[in-house]
Amino acid sequence: MSVPALSIDSVSAGYGDHLVLDSLSVQIAKGEFVVLIGPNGCGKSTLLKTVAALIRPSSGTVRLFGEDVRKLRPSARSRILGVVPQKVESPMAFTVHQIVMNGRTGSSLPWISLSEEDHGIIERSMIYTDVFDLRDRYFMELSGGEQQRVILAMVLAQEPQIIMLDESIAHLDINHRYEVLRILRRLNHEHGMTVVLVSHDLSLSSEIADRLILMNAGKVIVSGSSEEVLQAEILSRVYDCELQVQQDPLTGAVHVTGVLDGVNKGSERMRPVHVIAGGGTGIELYRRFGLYGYRVTTGVLNRMDSDAEAANALGIEAVFEKPFSAIGDGAYKEASEMAGKAEILVVSDVPFGSGNLINLRLAKEALDAGKEVWIAGGIAERDYTDGKQAVGQVNTLLAEGARTWTSLHDLMMELKRV
Amino acid sequence: MKRNRENIPVTPDIEGVPRVRIALFCLAVPLLLFLSLLLGASGQGFPDVHSPVGKAILNLRINRLVMGLLVGSALSVSGVVFQAILRNPLAEPYVLGVSGGAGLGATLAILFGAVAFIPLSLPVAAFVAAVLTLFLVYGIASRGSGGSPSVYSLILSGVIISSICSSLIMFLVSTASADGLHSVIWWMLGNLQPVPLEQRILSTVLIGAGFIVTWLLGSRFNALTLGREMAHYQGMNADLIILGGLLAATLMAATAVSIGGMIGFVGLIVPHVTRAMFGPDHRWLIPLSAVSGGTFLVLCDAVARTVLAPVEMPVGVITALAGGPFFLMILQRKMKNAWIA
Repeated sequence: MSVPALSIDSVSAGYGDHLVLDSLSVQIAKGEFVVLIGPNGCGKSTLLKTVAALIRPSSGTVRLFGEDVRKLRPSARSRILGVVPQKVESPMAFTVHQIVMNGRTGSSLPWISLSEEDHGIIERSMIYTDVFDLRDRYFMELSGGEQQRVILAMVLAQEPQIIMLDESIAHLDINHRYEVLRILRRLNHEHGMTVVLVSHDLSLSSEIADRLILMNAGKVIVSGSSEEVLQAEILSRVYDCELQVQQDPLTGAVHVTGVLDGVNKGSERMRPVHVIAGGGTGIELYRRFGLYGYRVTTGVLNRMDSDAEAANALGIEAVFEKPFSAIGDGAYKEASEMAGKAEILVVSDVPFGSGNLINLRLAKEALDAGKEVWIAGGIAERDYTDGKQAVGQVNTLLAEGARTWTSLHDLMMELKRV
Repeated sequence: MKRNRENIPVTPDIEGVPRVRIALFCLAVPLLLFLSLLLGASGQGFPDVHSPVGKAILNLRINRLVMGLLVGSALSVSGVVFQAILRNPLAEPYVLGVSGGAGLGATLAILFGAVAFIPLSLPVAAFVAAVLTLFLVYGIASRGSGGSPSVYSLILSGVIISSICSSLIMFLVSTASADGLHSVIWWMLGNLQPVPLEQRILSTVLIGAGFIVTWLLGSRFNALTLGREMAHYQGMNADLIILGGLLAATLMAATAVSIGGMIGFVGLIVPHVTRAMFGPDHRWLIPLSAVSGGTFLVLCDAVARTVLAPVEMPVGVITALAGGPFFLMILQRKMKNAWIA
């Protein structure tokens, strides 16, 4: 088997103490067209920067055709790997021709002019990306799509064997996006160029890629053909929202779409939910339940707590206790009455102490009344009561029929199923 | 034949640099330099070289011309380099605090009398102080950024350090004796009085070295204007080039300050005008700015010693009068275009 064009072995990397890539491994063969997808902040751009030796990995190695990228001389690296960043700007009035020349003059001395061969390469690169007619125009006066093609021409003038693009086409119009993609595919087919593209457009990615790599939280979740990767279940979990995948029976193209119906109009879902939260753990629950048309109540919360503020802002009915004090009997009775009207009771991943432990009694009451009770997993890590009372109570509740939830998306799906 | 965007044939370029303009420029420079020899506080016209007085006057004017070329080219090239590295049209030795630091070092050397006893103490003090200032500015800007500071934090800390330096200079001046006061003020306003021979030789060597280093880095500066990240992808050791460029530019600016005092705006105006005339390719821009900056300062000096003759004005006054409005013009254009000529 030949040496992979790009080989990433258990690389961890990040900024300062914040690790973005978590022992990530992936290999890309020569001549492959790979699209990296994943939610914002999952580490796609960091991966590109680590591969290009702009970021030093805290562990692991990146190899380009078998050579450690950190041991390659910068000029040697640039002849193997070309990178097109998201957006490139110049503060000066360089012409398109001068910008593209950078691809050849990078290491030349001022008094040595470019050879005939260099000029030929520059010209071919401009023709290939269709910017030759623009060569005397000022770079910064061009449209976004034209600028992106100019930068592509500059990178091609390096004559790299691998080319990586960092969401370079995300902000382009659909026609310009296809134009750049067509160029990339031609490079891939005609010259065996290895292409790694970071993209947000799942449907477009499935059309063009040999292989999709889905990343999340600094790891590769799944890598394979678009049929293998673009599955509603996997995507919904990674993007933490409800997604649908449809395949066009004529073209075989895959379409990934979010689900809009159900938002704010599912009258059948007007089931009342009572949420036990605090310290900001309830905000996303309130928002999501409200969005899907549930009638939400919450409490007991301390006033001035961020969940109390959120409940007020979202117009959610709530029971409050005085700021920074333990929940008293009065507030508890009120909340008990309120929760009694709900059909579902959800406990967020709120930490429990002696002051709010009493809220768990609401869950007990709901369970005794035969209602659905959902408790966020991992109670042991947020139990600050003496003698781990919350853990004990939650375990009892679970034994009596309460259920745990971990991801909000899964919780919403489960509730919908009922 | 090349054609422009209206499909009209245009002047053939050397890789985008207008040849005809460069030829005209090469003809104009010697003429302008010769013209400057005709002007002086002692009257217009070429001095009579057959009389001893005329000889002395010509000698003096030639010395001033050499000083002007040296200082003007050093300030201009360092301005070019700072603008390229910081990707900011308003960058120049003053913005980064480099001139302020050099000024503080030189003021200390003058006021504590070192200049009178130790030869070359002035340029050495200026350079050491300028480099220390640069490291201080760079260090403050790098804090919490993992070693590579953003352009904004560099400029911000440069402006702050610069104003601290000028406050310290003001403090030193206000407590100085009347004698020291005069020489510091005169020096601060900027002038091209010839300095001792050994200082002139050292300054020429230092400025020459800085020029060669920056010129060699010309094509790297082109790539750096697209950003540090893009330069890295183009196969350059971007951090090393930035550091080397900043050091060379600092050396040139500090040496210029040590022999010519605080001559403002040359490092700002000349790079912009040269770029507008010949384009932004640094392989050409650096030598062309050196020549045009030197010539510009020589002409400003000729004006300074003529307009109020026989009283001589500090040349810094002329460059500042020309530079202030120009600075505003750039700001306006920058706001309209977001990029510069």
